[in-house]
Amino acid sequence: MIRGLAIGLALALFAAAAMLLAGANPLLGFWALFRGALGGVPQISETLVQTTALLFPSLAVAFAFRAGLFNIGAEGQLVIGGLVAGVIGARLETSGLIAIPLLLIAGSAGGAAWGAIAGVLRARFGGSEVIATLMLNIVAALLANYLVVGPLHSPGVAGPETAELPHSSWLPALLPGTRLTVALLIALALAFVLRWVFARTVFGYELRAVGDAPEAARRAGINLAKTAFVTMALSGAMAGLGGATIVTGVLHRFNVSLSPGYGFIAIAVALVGDLDPLRIIIASFAFGILQSGALSMQALAHVPKDVVSFVEGLAIVALAARRFVAGRKQMTALAPE
Amino acid sequence: MYPGGVHAVAGVDLDVFPGEIHALCGENGAGKTTLASIAAGKLKATGGTVVAHGNVGLVHQHFELVDRLRVWENVVLGREPHRGAELDRAAARAEVEKLSREYGLAVDPDAVIESLPVGIAQRVELLRELARDPAVLILDEPTAVLAPAEIDALFATVRALAARGTAVLIITHKLQEVVAHTSRITVMRAGKVVARLETAQTNVDDIARAMVGGELPELAARLETAPKPALAVRGVSAGESSLAVRNASFEVHGGEIVGVAGVEGNGQSALADAIAGVIPYLGSIELDGVALPVGDPARRIAQGIRTIPQDRRREALVLSWSIVDNVALGDQRRPSLRKGVTVDRGAARELAKRIVERFDVRTPSVDTSVSELSGGNQQKVVVGRALAHDPKFLLVYQPTRGIDVGAAALVQSRLIEARNAGVAVFLISFELDEVLALSDRVIVMYRGAVVGTFERGALDRARIGSLMAGAA
Repeated sequence: MIRGLAIGLALALFAAAAMLLAGANPLLGFWALFRGALGGVPQISETLVQTTALLFPSLAVAFAFRAGLFNIGAEGQLVIGGLVAGVIGARLETSGLIAIPLLLIAGSAGGAAWGAIAGVLRARFGGSEVIATLMLNIVAALLANYLVVGPLHSPGVAGPETAELPHSSWLPALLPGTRLTVALLIALALAFVLRWVFARTVFGYELRAVGDAPEAARRAGINLAKTAFVTMALSGAMAGLGGATIVTGVLHRFNVSLSPGYGFIAIAVALVGDLDPLRIIIASFAFGILQSGALSMQALAHVPKDVVSFVEGLAIVALAARRFVAGRKQMTALAPE
Repeated sequence: MYPGGVHAVAGVDLDVFPGEIHALCGENGAGKTTLASIAAGKLKATGGTVVAHGNVGLVHQHFELVDRLRVWENVVLGREPHRGAELDRAAARAEVEKLSREYGLAVDPDAVIESLPVGIAQRVELLRELARDPAVLILDEPTAVLAPAEIDALFATVRALAARGTAVLIITHKLQEVVAHTSRITVMRAGKVVARLETAQTNVDDIARAMVGGELPELAARLETAPKPALAVRGVSAGESSLAVRNASFEVHGGEIVGVAGVEGNGQSALADAIAGVIPYLGSIELDGVALPVGDPARRIAQGIRTIPQDRRREALVLSWSIVDNVALGDQRRPSLRKGVTVDRGAARELAKRIVERFDVRTPSVDTSVSELSGGNQQKVVVGRALAHDPKFLLVYQPTRGIDVGAAALVQSRLIEARNAGVAVFLISFELDEVLALSDRVIVMYRGAVVGTFERGALDRARIGSLMAGAA
């Protein structure tokens, strides 16, 4: 906790330096950032919208990471999940009680399928999931663009997006007049379920064994290939569900630019949260503040919103370094006697 | 110093003179390796001084080699010969070949470390240290993984080194070797020196008593064998090239220990992996007369085939996990250890407590992570887990490698108890004494094939030794 604060403070100092370099007043910058993110009910609800959008892919990344798999492809899985939900949702005229669960499940299935591609490559051929998921991000973006502009184009729609979903298929709002929906509750529930899975279930136990000591897990009868496949599919499902909630809850249609990189920021969020689902909730909120305060910072304090990306990048570097140092310490601790 | 303020080594004085072969003995956790690391400058002492007249070389128990690099690359690592900015490969290889000839440590300079058996990898580690021309050479458990012939060769090398004036410090649990090859002995217990002995005026029993601080546990009495066939290996071939097992056939009955005598690298590892179900093989392996599917370790475990693997730290344990979590590994789907889809942590905790008690695992708590236990205590957890669910067949691979006499005796007596309880035990060990002491039947392996079988009543040490060495 103290270490977390120290990292946060260091990042804030770097952010201040970056603002100075950009010719802005850091104090004004921070004030604008926090006012933009937490200055009132509309701002807080928008921050929670960002928190929700980050939480799904962050849990996806953490889930795979616990099994020793580096899922860089949450972004692509999120896009595919949103695409499936948007394409079906735009064509579906039925009661929300049926439509909403159906669209969320369809989005999860889409993300699962996309994650499973990397899972199969890993399980059957030992291919690196890092490369596969990274590349599949690009394929997902191009495929989505091609489909909504080409074969699945909705009549009367100009941009690279689907038609609007019927009102009945929109996720119920938590606060009337805001974009905050029950998606937040679904994401929070998912975090608690994952914590239970890791801490209590046989499946979570096997998943952690594979992540922490693959050879011992294999000799204990745990099927590594199957675990890799299932893990990637479930991880993809979580990211895909996130995409589906953006489509059904925020945009009410699929648009190719539905994500400003949630799936990538998620890697930092998962690491900041130490791969622990409950701490990832807090980390998602912190990154949600950055996301939602960035524009206000630019508008009010004339700080380029790229400063936020800069800070997020620094956070990744800092955490990678921390894990590296921890890894070395562990190696030392493993020395004989 | 360990966390919590306990000193791993406290106030130790030790002199090793040029030309002397000095033994450092003690149980696991006595502080031997810590002392060696301090002497070699790899660990900093919180007090006291180390004086050495020249380089100090340290050959580790767990090798510190780069697995993906070749032998010569490992030997010259850190002080590579070069021409300008370019690595002088020819000079480096020549140096390694010269060292290898000079010390009689035969090894292929171009072999990649990860492809080598443990015994050969150790030679590389030894060569690397010798290349630095050390005034003091410390060997940490050097014979733990070696076959008898290799041990003789190693001590010949060590004696030659001492004759040139090198001071040699050998850390070992094998007291026969201590008595046979050293001139002085220092015994440590709990971080302190408890005895300084002249080899000529002592014996194995005295050293062992000083180490454990009491009498050795007696081996449990043997009951009469009541054989019923349990595991049958029929025409099994597996593994790669020189390390493969070829067309091996034998049976292990309930209530007996069958031991494999053989020099490391003669197919034992591939045979063990085939039985454990973690590599593909030809031929068949039958449990109670029914052939097991190739692969599928989970099914084997469920049917009562348990293995104690070669590398407990990598293949048997999740080091970062607690004892409680580790004792469930492999049995996490067993009804007695789960409640529906969840792990029954209460049951796992009870099991961990039983194992800690029955196997005398020295640990502050069952929640302690196994990485904090000494090698002997880690092994007790592994053996305890394997015996916890009434196995039919138990494969043990080097069960006492690198662990102290007390732990080794306990592990061995538990194996005999398991045998007496009707378990079919299959023992692979590179210590012939261990194989001969424990086995009801001994099979000899050479170049992947079973080349001889001896019943306990007809054990012929000389004949076994020559079969191990490849005599027809």
